[in-house]
Amino acid sequence: MPASATASQLSQSGRDMVYAFHAMATPCEARVETDDAALAGQVGCAVEAEARRIESKFSRYRSDSVVGQINLAEGRLIAVDPETAHLLDFAARCFDLSDGLFDITSGVLRRAWRFDGSDRVPDPSTVEPLRALIGWDKVTWQPPMISLPAGMEIDLGGLAKEYAVDKALAAARSLTPMPLLVNFGGDLAVSGPRTDGIAWNVAIASVDREGDMAGLLELTSGALATSGDAQRFLQRDGVRYSHILDPRTGWPVRNAPRSVTVAASSCVEAGLTATLAMLQGKRAEIFLKREGARAWCIR
Amino acid sequence: MQLKKRKKAGRVRRTLSAASATLLVATGTAAAQDYYGYGLEKRNDNFGPGIAYTQMDSALLVYQESGGRVQATEPSLNLAVHGATGEQLTVDLIADAVSGATPNGAVPSDRIQTFLTPLKAQGSSTTVTSASGGSTIIQLPPTPGQIAAAAQGRQYTTAANTLPMDKGFRDHRAGLTLGWSQPIGPISDVGISGGYSLETDYQSITAGLRTAQNFNSDNTTVSLALNSEFDTSSPFGGIPTPLTAMNAQWKTVTSRNKTQLGFVLGLTEVVTRNWLMQLNYSYDAQSGYETDPYRVISVVDAVSGEPTSTLYESRPGKRQSQSVYWENKFEFGPSLTDISIRYFKDSWHVTSKTAELSERINLGRSMYVEPNVRWYQQSAADFFQNYLVGGQTLPAYASSDPRLSKFTGLTYGAKVGFPLSARTEIYLRGGYYQQTGNGHPATAIGQLKTQDLFAGNKSVFGLFGFQWKFH
Amino acid sequence: MKSRTRTRGARPLLLLLCLSASGLCASCSGIGPRPWEKDLMAKPEMALTPYPLQTAADEHIYFSKEASSGGRGFAGGGCGCN
Repeated sequence: MPASATASQLSQSGRDMVYAFHAMATPCEARVETDDAALAGQVGCAVEAEARRIESKFSRYRSDSVVGQINLAEGRLIAVDPETAHLLDFAARCFDLSDGLFDITSGVLRRAWRFDGSDRVPDPSTVEPLRALIGWDKVTWQPPMISLPAGMEIDLGGLAKEYAVDKALAAARSLTPMPLLVNFGGDLAVSGPRTDGIAWNVAIASVDREGDMAGLLELTSGALATSGDAQRFLQRDGVRYSHILDPRTGWPVRNAPRSVTVAASSCVEAGLTATLAMLQGKRAEIFLKREGARAWCIR
Repeated sequence: MQLKKRKKAGRVRRTLSAASATLLVATGTAAAQDYYGYGLEKRNDNFGPGIAYTQMDSALLVYQESGGRVQATEPSLNLAVHGATGEQLTVDLIADAVSGATPNGAVPSDRIQTFLTPLKAQGSSTTVTSASGGSTIIQLPPTPGQIAAAAQGRQYTTAANTLPMDKGFRDHRAGLTLGWSQPIGPISDVGISGGYSLETDYQSITAGLRTAQNFNSDNTTVSLALNSEFDTSSPFGGIPTPLTAMNAQWKTVTSRNKTQLGFVLGLTEVVTRNWLMQLNYSYDAQSGYETDPYRVISVVDAVSGEPTSTLYESRPGKRQSQSVYWENKFEFGPSLTDISIRYFKDSWHVTSKTAELSERINLGRSMYVEPNVRWYQQSAADFFQNYLVGGQTLPAYASSDPRLSKFTGLTYGAKVGFPLSARTEIYLRGGYYQQTGNGHPATAIGQLKTQDLFAGNKSVFGLFGFQWKFH
Repeated sequence: MKSRTRTRGARPLLLLLCLSASGLCASCSGIGPRPWEKDLMAKPEMALTPYPLQTAADEHIYFSKEASSGGRGFAGGGCGCN
C-alpha cells in the first residue's frame, strides 16, 4: 500500500516552526525553535527525506525494498548493505537478549491476526502452522549475507520508525544548532533542551479519551517511544487481545499494559525497551522497575 | 509524569543500551561520547495531571486596622491530595483570633456618650475592661416584665467628637472544610464539599456540590457549583428586637438562623498558549437573620443633631444577589499579568464594581515579586442611613454599618516569593487597604455637620505562606 | 418593588455576560492550543488559584469589610463577619 501523498506544511507554533508531513502511516513533524522559516523548511525537508528513504528501503510492501528482496529470495543468500547489516545485527542481539520474545521473523502471524477492533479471533488451526515459520534462530545470518528458509519472512516494522527518528534527528542536527524535536507519530527525540535550558513539554496521550492528556513530561535530551494498543486490538467475550504477539506461541501477550512510554538516550533504545516491556505482559512494570528504565505504563 | 527514579540499569537495559549505541554509531547517527548523556528531569519534579502528589499550603495572616480598631491573626492550612486519575481530596483548616475595637454604629457627638450592653457572661461577676479605658460594670434598676433579669450590665463611654467604638471585642474561630472530587464516567469532574465553622457567638455549616466538563482538548471547561450555608447567630446578650432601645438586658431570643443557597456557573478557557480566561456568573439567595446583633443606629435631634437615643439596627430578612466575574491571566516571558473585574448587584440595592491587577515578575529562577492593586466601589444599601432623625416615622429597616455604605476601597499590595525548589516555596505578601467615603453629607444636621460620619477603615495586612508539594 | 428592581438590574449583568461570551465564541469553536503547546499552562502560577490560602485570606478580608462577596467560583463565607 503506498503511503498517502499528503502535502507537507510549515507553520508557526509558539516559539517553534513546525514542519509536518505524513509518512510511515503516521503524522510526522520536525520542530525547530526558530523564527527562520527558511531554516525550518530546510530542516523539515531533510527530516522528511530521511523518513521516506528508510520507509521505502525497509518497507515490507515493496518488492524492490531491501526487506522485500530478502523475503522474496526463496532461500538464496542475499548480500545486504552496511546499514541493513547493522540493523540485522541489532535485531539479532535483541532476539538473544529477550530470549526470543523480540523476533523480526514473527511478521508471518499477520496472515492469521488482523487487529481491527473486531471480535474475529483466529482459530488455533490457522495460527499453529505459522509457528513453524517463526524463529530468528532458523535464519542464516553471516554478515553481510542473509538467507531465510522457505516461507519465512522478516519485518523491520518494530525497528524502522524509531531508527528513522534517530537518523532524521542526526540529519537535522547537521544543519543547525537550534533546538530540535523530531516526532514520528509519538516516537520522538530531541537534540537537547530548548533555549535557556527549558525542557520540551510532551503530553502522553490518553488511551481512552481522544485528545486527552494522561500526563505531561519534560524532556531535556534523549528520546521517547510509546508502545500501545490504542486502535489495534481484538475484543471477544470480554477478553482484550493486544496486538503484541508472542512469537513463541503465536498468540497475543496476555495482560499487557494498554500503553508503555519509555525515555532513553535514543529512540531505538526507547522503542525496544517499550516493546520488551509490553511483551512481559502483566510483569511489564516489574520488568521496567528492575531494569531501572524511565518509563510510564497505562493499564 | 510519575517516572521511576533513576536506578542502576538492569542487565537487559545495559545490553540494549550498548547494542543501540553500536547501531547508531556504526550507521553514523550518533557519536559514541554523546550517547550516554541523557537527561530526563534531574529530579522527579513533575506535578500535574496524571501524577499522584500532595500539596500542602500553610499561611499566617496578620491584619490590623488603624485607630486601635480590629486586629486579627489567622493561621490556615490547606491540604490537597491529588490522585493519578484526577481524584482530589482537600482539607482546609482555619483558625482566627480577632480583637480590638469596632464601631458600634452610633454617630459621633460633641458630648460624651454612654452605651449599655449586656455583660459578656450571663451571671458572671468578672469585670470586662480592656487596656484602652473600656467599660465598667453597673448595677441596673429592675425593669418590669423582663425575664431572667441581669442585675448587672456593661457600660462604656465615648469621648466627645470621637467615633463610638465598643472596645471589649474579642473572638476566636475555628473552621474545617473537607472536599472530594473525581471524574465520573464521561463527566470530567464531580465534587462534594462540607464545612463547619464555630466561634463564640456564631456557627456556620456549609455544603457544596460541583460538576465540571472539559471540551476542546481540555481548553474549555464549563462548571456549575451549588453551594448552601446554614448559619446560627447566638450573640452575647441574645438577639435584640430590631429598632428598640439599646439596653443591658439579656434578651429572650438567644439565637436566630440564616439560610443561604446559591450557584456559580463558570466558563474557563485556555484561549492561546499564554492566555487563560475565566468567566463566572453567581447567584445567591439568603433568608433569615441578616442583622448584625451588636450594631446600633443613633436617633438624633432634628435640629441640633445631638444623639438622643440609640436603637438596635434592622435589616431585611431576605437578600438575593448576582455577580459576574471575569479574570484573565497572560504570561509573557518573565512576567505574568492577572487582571480581573467583577460587577455585583443585590436586592438591597447595593451595586459594586471591582477591578484588580497584579503583575508577577520573575527575577531569575528563585525569586519573584508581584505588586498588585485593587480598586473597589460600592453604592449604599437602600436602608443604609448614617443616623435616624427624631420625630420621623421609624423605617422598617435601617443600618449605619459602613460595610453597607457608599465608599471606594483601594488596596495596594506587593508580594515576594522564593521558590526554594520545584517543590517548595515561601512567600510574603503585604498590603494596605483604605476605604474612603463621604463623611460630610450635605444633609447633615446641626453638630453632625462638624463630625466625620464615615466609619470605614484603613488597614494593613501581612501574609506569610509556605507551600510544599510531594509525591 | 423587589421584582422590578431585579429585572432592571439583571439587564446590565446579562449584557456583560453576553458580550464576554460572544468574545469567547471564536476561541470555543475548536481553536486553542494543542496539548503539547500547553507548556505555559502547566506552570503552577498559571492556575486560577495557585495560592489558595492567599486567595482565601484576601476574600476573607474583603468579605468582612464590604457588602459584596464571592464571584470567583467557590463559595466563601462561613464566618459571622458580614
